[in-house]
Amino acid sequence: MIDLLLAARNLLRNRRRSFAALFALALGAAAILLFGGYRANIEYTMLTAYVRDGGHLQVQHRDFFLYGSGNPTLYGIADYAALIEAIRADEQLRGLVAVATPKLQFGGIASNFEADVSRPVAGLALVPADQRRLREWNEFGVAESAQQFTLEGAPADGAVIGTGVARVLQLCAPLRVADCPTPQRQPEAPADPGEAIAADIAALAARAAPAASPAASPAAAAGGPPRIELLAATAGGAPNVVSLQVMKAERQGFKEVDEIFLLMQLAQAQRLVYGRAPPRATAIVVQVERTAQIPQVAQRLHELIARSAPQQPLAVLDFRQLNPFFVQTVQMFDTIFAFVFALMAIIVLFTVGHAMSTSVTERTVEIGTVRAMGLRRSGVQRLFVIEGALLGAVGALAGVVAAVLIATVVNALGLTWLPPGSGHPLPLQLMLQGQGPLIAGTALGLFAIAVASAWWPAYRASRLVIVDALRHV
Amino acid sequence: MTASTEPVALLSGVSKSYRLDDVRVPVLDGIDLLVRPGQFTVLLGPSGSGKTTLLNLIGCIDRPDAGQVVVAGQDVGPLSDDLLADFRARHIGFIFQNFNLLPVLSAYENIEYPMLLAGLGARTRGERAARLLRAVGLAEHGAKLPGQLSGGQRQRVAIARALGLRPRLVIADEPTANLDSRTGEAILALMRDMQRRWQISFLFSSHDRNVIRAADDTIKLRDGAIQGIRRRDPAPAAEAAAEAADTLPGEGRP
Repeated sequence: MIDLLLAARNLLRNRRRSFAALFALALGAAAILLFGGYRANIEYTMLTAYVRDGGHLQVQHRDFFLYGSGNPTLYGIADYAALIEAIRADEQLRGLVAVATPKLQFGGIASNFEADVSRPVAGLALVPADQRRLREWNEFGVAESAQQFTLEGAPADGAVIGTGVARVLQLCAPLRVADCPTPQRQPEAPADPGEAIAADIAALAARAAPAASPAASPAAAAGGPPRIELLAATAGGAPNVVSLQVMKAERQGFKEVDEIFLLMQLAQAQRLVYGRAPPRATAIVVQVERTAQIPQVAQRLHELIARSAPQQPLAVLDFRQLNPFFVQTVQMFDTIFAFVFALMAIIVLFTVGHAMSTSVTERTVEIGTVRAMGLRRSGVQRLFVIEGALLGAVGALAGVVAAVLIATVVNALGLTWLPPGSGHPLPLQLMLQGQGPLIAGTALGLFAIAVASAWWPAYRASRLVIVDALRHV
Repeated sequence: MTASTEPVALLSGVSKSYRLDDVRVPVLDGIDLLVRPGQFTVLLGPSGSGKTTLLNLIGCIDRPDAGQVVVAGQDVGPLSDDLLADFRARHIGFIFQNFNLLPVLSAYENIEYPMLLAGLGARTRGERAARLLRAVGLAEHGAKLPGQLSGGQRQRVAIARALGLRPRLVIADEPTANLDSRTGEAILALMRDMQRRWQISFLFSSHDRNVIRAADDTIKLRDGAIQGIRRRDPAPAAEAAAEAADTLPGEGRP
């Protein structure tokens, strides 16, 4: 107790020096925590976005992830509905699985007959009601961006396309896509092969679905959604076409994706791809209640697959395997966080070390005096280490308080930013709530560094020769 | 209380030198000395004669190059650094020329601090510190920091601090050198009073004539060797021991 009292009073004795050390500690702690909160916000925002789009886990043909982009429909899951039913009905998964829903990916060519343009697209088909439920998941309480459009309530032939697709198909005006200038064509340009393809697709569409395919231009002219035609190869290799109403153009995070994105309803896509054959899905999307439950759910899914679909070579992939960009981004921010922590740690190390070294020099005679009075070397060392520990504790606590206050203010400002890979601006949040390990780790880490900084000056003080210390001027 | 007749310090063939760059400078050379218990002993000698070094060796804050130092019946040579620190805490008090009070502790806390180091209970510490404050005439100043006290008051606190653990020996290096003559005399009188009351051995180094006049034993040093020792009859100290019993009921010492 006397050591603590002495340490506290000695710190107060030279307020300016102690304040400088405390300031460095608090600044370091606040900087680490604020960046940690920012990093956490990025991680959880991205995680939430990926989980809302594709769930935590996907049951796929084991080769779909690596080879499915060539011809996705070749890797469809037969009798997927039975497997989904088995998942939904499973006792062990009750309370763990929030959503289990089929997804179909396929390739095709979308065209706007009126504009004589077409382009390849990557189709994605979902059950609209399930899509809405997927997007309700928010385990980490991330701030909500503007609600993304879902197909729930849309007509059966409704679709959403990327703004890049809308731009190439010259649908910017009816879909109200901003920043979409009209392209200036080369005057002597050779015949656009897209025009011929568009005409072919339109002819096919007129034959395949005459009732559902009125002329695109009249609908748009009447103020309704514009229409496009979508050509795809069936699983058997024959061409098939469907006419779709484009409900909305939505910007996708990456330009490459934005220029091929097409979302439509599962039933319509299955008719397009599988015709009258039994429909398949390229994946079963499984969203769990809590991310930490992924291993448990994945284990159970393997068991269910072995029981319900033993003849199919299916695999269970989690969202990290499916989205390497997420893992890379998190790793990048982890590296930056470690760098920031190391930088702050070095600043704290030298600031506290310098403060303690100066203190030892100034108090040399006192050290000699207490040693003469019978304080052991370890007692002297303890005195200075306790001073470092006090600095560390108070500085870290001040840093935590400052970080929480700053985060509260920043979060209340309502700032937004556009993260990489996102098509929508997101609220800028410094996420410190629920970050117990980050806060405790930062505080304890800086506390430990402050103690370590004091250790060497304390050791030096303890090794002073008493008579030399007493003679010190 | 029975006054011990055991020498408070006994030095045999003690030598000490310091290294100055590449040169070894001898400070003490073959010192043989007996410091009597319960006496007021003064080391005399010009600057550089080895007074402070001798005090340091007897105070167990330095070690000789050669020879044996026995303090309070203990050969301190074989003691480890930690055991020597414990030994100092139990048996030796220090009064410094510059008072050397801990500036962040009040007068009361400064007196209490060595008792804390020795692990005395709170009640004992409190009683002793209060009694010592009264004894040195600072009962009203216990809460003051050293910076709020005059030089004389600080030295009184230092004396009280040195006596808190009832040491066998108090080492005082030029205790009046930084005080004006009147305060110096008062401090000297206080120390003499304490020494007589509680039969504590005081060992000084000093140039102060008042100190020298008050000494029971006087040891003259020159060039690291003892030039002469004058010893006075110890009878008055024995009388003072009887007074101490009345002053401090139940304890013979502070």
